[in-house]
Amino acid sequence: MSKFAPLAQFSRGQESGYKLLPFKFDALDEDRWLVTNLVGEFHVLPRQTLENFIHHELSPNAPDYCALKSKHFLIDGDSDVALDLLALKTRTRYQRLANFTGLHLFVITLRCEHSCPYCQVSRQNDDKTQFDMSEEVADRALDLVFHSPSPNIKIEFQGGEPLLNFGRLRQVVLRAKDRNRSKQKNLAFVIATNLAVLSDDVLAFCREHDIHISTSLDGPEDLHNRNRPRPGNDSYQRTIAGIRRVRETLGRDRVSAVMTATAGSLARVREIIDEYVATGFHGIFLRPLSPYGFAVKTKWIAAYDQQAWLRFYFEGLDYIIDLNKRGYPFREFYAATILAKMLTPFQPGFVDLMSPAGIGIGALVYNYDGSVYASDESRMLAEMGDETFRLGTVRDSYEALITSEKLLDPLEQSFAASVPMCVDCAFEPYCGADPVYHHATQRDFVGRKPESGFCSRNIAIFRGLMTRMEADADTRHLFTRWANR
Amino acid sequence: MLARRGTGYPVRKGDAEAPRIVRLTTDSHRPFPERQSEAYLSRDGEVPLGFAWYVFLGGKDNLRRIPAEAHGIALPDEFTYLGDGDILRLSSDRGNITALFIRSVRHHSFLLTERCNHYCLMCSQPPRDVDDDWIMDDIMATIPLIDPTTHEIGFTGGEPTLLGDRLVRLVDQCRALLPKTGVHVLTNGRAFADQAYAAKFAAIRHHDLMFGIPIYSDLADRHDYVVQAQGAFDETIRGILNLKRHRVPVEIRMVIHKQTYERLPDLARFIARNLTFVDQVVFMGLEMTGFTRANLDTLWIDPVNYQTQLAEAVRLLAASRMKVSIYNHQLCITDRSLWPYAKRSISDWKNEYMAECKGCSARSECAGFFSSAKFRHSSHIHAI
Amino acid sequence: MVLSEDDSDLGAERRVTFARDIFDVEAIKRAAYRLSGYLVVDIQATEHEYHCRLFALDSTNVDAIDALINRFRGEVLDQDLRIRIAKETEAYRNLILSLAFSKTGVTG
Repeated sequence: MSKFAPLAQFSRGQESGYKLLPFKFDALDEDRWLVTNLVGEFHVLPRQTLENFIHHELSPNAPDYCALKSKHFLIDGDSDVALDLLALKTRTRYQRLANFTGLHLFVITLRCEHSCPYCQVSRQNDDKTQFDMSEEVADRALDLVFHSPSPNIKIEFQGGEPLLNFGRLRQVVLRAKDRNRSKQKNLAFVIATNLAVLSDDVLAFCREHDIHISTSLDGPEDLHNRNRPRPGNDSYQRTIAGIRRVRETLGRDRVSAVMTATAGSLARVREIIDEYVATGFHGIFLRPLSPYGFAVKTKWIAAYDQQAWLRFYFEGLDYIIDLNKRGYPFREFYAATILAKMLTPFQPGFVDLMSPAGIGIGALVYNYDGSVYASDESRMLAEMGDETFRLGTVRDSYEALITSEKLLDPLEQSFAASVPMCVDCAFEPYCGADPVYHHATQRDFVGRKPESGFCSRNIAIFRGLMTRMEADADTRHLFTRWANR
Repeated sequence: MLARRGTGYPVRKGDAEAPRIVRLTTDSHRPFPERQSEAYLSRDGEVPLGFAWYVFLGGKDNLRRIPAEAHGIALPDEFTYLGDGDILRLSSDRGNITALFIRSVRHHSFLLTERCNHYCLMCSQPPRDVDDDWIMDDIMATIPLIDPTTHEIGFTGGEPTLLGDRLVRLVDQCRALLPKTGVHVLTNGRAFADQAYAAKFAAIRHHDLMFGIPIYSDLADRHDYVVQAQGAFDETIRGILNLKRHRVPVEIRMVIHKQTYERLPDLARFIARNLTFVDQVVFMGLEMTGFTRANLDTLWIDPVNYQTQLAEAVRLLAASRMKVSIYNHQLCITDRSLWPYAKRSISDWKNEYMAECKGCSARSECAGFFSSAKFRHSSHIHAI
Repeated sequence: MVLSEDDSDLGAERRVTFARDIFDVEAIKRAAYRLSGYLVVDIQATEHEYHCRLFALDSTNVDAIDALINRFRGEVLDQDLRIRIAKETEAYRNLILSLAFSKTGVTG
């Protein structure tokens, strides 16, 4: 019918060329290059195409032209709604900032009967009063918790072994719920425990108050026990038994596990994952050893080679992908966090990978002695004698703590979008700032990224995730599900 | 297919009485006050007194027996489906009858105007630039008569938003008079690029309102081509953003054909990334009416040939936790992975089955066909 | 980056030259920064050129040094492109950010 105009008529706006929208580029691997925009959308293309694109020589008929236009890397004459959409997506990414400090860590005791060499907390035994959180400190810490504007509050009990000070734990939970009657926040509780001293009373209490359990499971029995020594050398048995008991009384989803990798773990990632599968978990967090606390003192960190860790990580990831393909749903949480940034418009709230940094904004730590830290790592640094990230005490006001220079300076200086090398880096939308790590390793909130282990490790992971997605549609689909949890 | 329009035999030809919109009742014990504004549907010739209209099925002899002041009409056989609660527009001078609302049918759709500012290649209701304000008058008169237990009604066109504030009033009327009924409006959404207009609909605070808005591509020129209007893509998206900013429910719908199937996965990615807050996404099959027949060479693709793209698009949206549905697709030619998303969607007065469907085990779950599908349909239809 | 007088403890020196009318010195500096884990770069300017003296931090592997020099060249080119892109897209970047954080939201 002659009344209908052809496609060419509507494409006329493209004839006068296109303009570039803000983007960054970096090599993905030897043959391919990556472009990313302000909100983390990406496209993979050959070098020649990249150069043509930059020099305004890419033809509207080229297949990459349509992809670049759809993903908001270029804008031409037939549409400009890309600007509204980019603005909206940018706003969405920063939304989290408006509701900050949702995570509150209560270190209610330093006592612990384990002696894990990688522990980032000084272990103390027996002397109850000196290393336990007092009632007064706990109450004042709760005052600060309820000052946070976040509608979602998670209180996590840590230590040492928090169950060794169960009386205080109980008190904090009951008082928090009481106060919440008028505040009406979404209140959640977690106990990070090694489960060795789990009693029926504790379980009953957790059940009554909907408390989640987070425990450590480093792998199969021999590995776990070597990593996590305790008198009797039965940490593994107690952990497994504890997990079972928690599942039976509280529910299957009420317990999660965290793994810490040591030099001895590096060759055994499949066994570790198999252990998690056998124990009925559907996810694992493959995290590296961080340069704090006892890990440094006992020279475990020296034995830790980043290349070896990356091999460990990717062997584990590939094994997990395979598990999924064979029908067992299982996710890797570090990858899932990054994938959320790559594949969705949302920013997950994972403290280590936030920019602006997650310190203070994401979490606050109330130590047994009343000091307040910007993050868990900040406290660990203090244990090593460095109080750079100690914000104050529970006797200070919330406003004073949150606006103190000890928090604002590192936040501002480390903001990845404006830091040398990060400012050019195509992977920056997926990365974070971690001023604590950089201060610990380089004595600089920003860190010289060329020398930063945080940087090289993260870039290797970003590249690894992307190449896997580009290579296989099923993997990409799996990753999309992980990203949208 | 149910006949909606026809001509009956009026009791008095040339009657000066204006066309009326009446609700039918088969209840001969209806309270007298109600009878004055209603029509009695008579199958066996009975004539209970006091009704404004008498509608006879089966023979015009009964017309003689109706009270002198009343109006009457005898309907041809194709209207035997009519029943209690149905709403008719009756014209006593010519005997024209339109069934405006058929209670027993599952999907209720009201055309508000034939005017449109688009000219889609596959339009099933080709636009006419006419003054058809009378349609809205009829509908406003119909709304109060609709059975309040009706689950959902739909408004379509043409382009409903061309009615401006009348559309706002219509939706408000639905809120007030049909508080248990959902309202679904099909529109190109461009009028909502004016934020103030979007706000008016939000202000109604309708309990269950949704706008179904098509987006045919992730690329502006392709979308504009399908709807034959330059600048449509940008305005439609801005309209959607404004509606969602005011928390008005929005569904994105698109029709799959030769001009839209290739970039289905790209469209899905675009929606998941940019319009993640819309309430649902619907993929529709092509209807063989209106402009589709004239543009068949441009549009026709056997649905079996786009199952790969459709499956990828649906998979992506589902993984992104968006609600997805597939309408107007027969199960035998739909990829198995998509069966959970395929809905029985064809209005009862349009749907049919083919000879190949005989003995098919999935028939009761399948959407079937539009009656227009006899013109063209997949070569791969088979009983499951 | 200016080195001290005595740089004899670094490995063999290599030289790379860039035309001033083609390359922004900022590009050279950023490339040097990115590769500072592997190279030390000294930049001198003449009227028409930038002369770079490169020293590999690990001077033992000669092939690796060649690869590093090529990498440096490539990186300068890339940084130059990045500067160009940043300039070209600055206006859009500012517009997007201001739309993102304005109170009225994105569409009028």
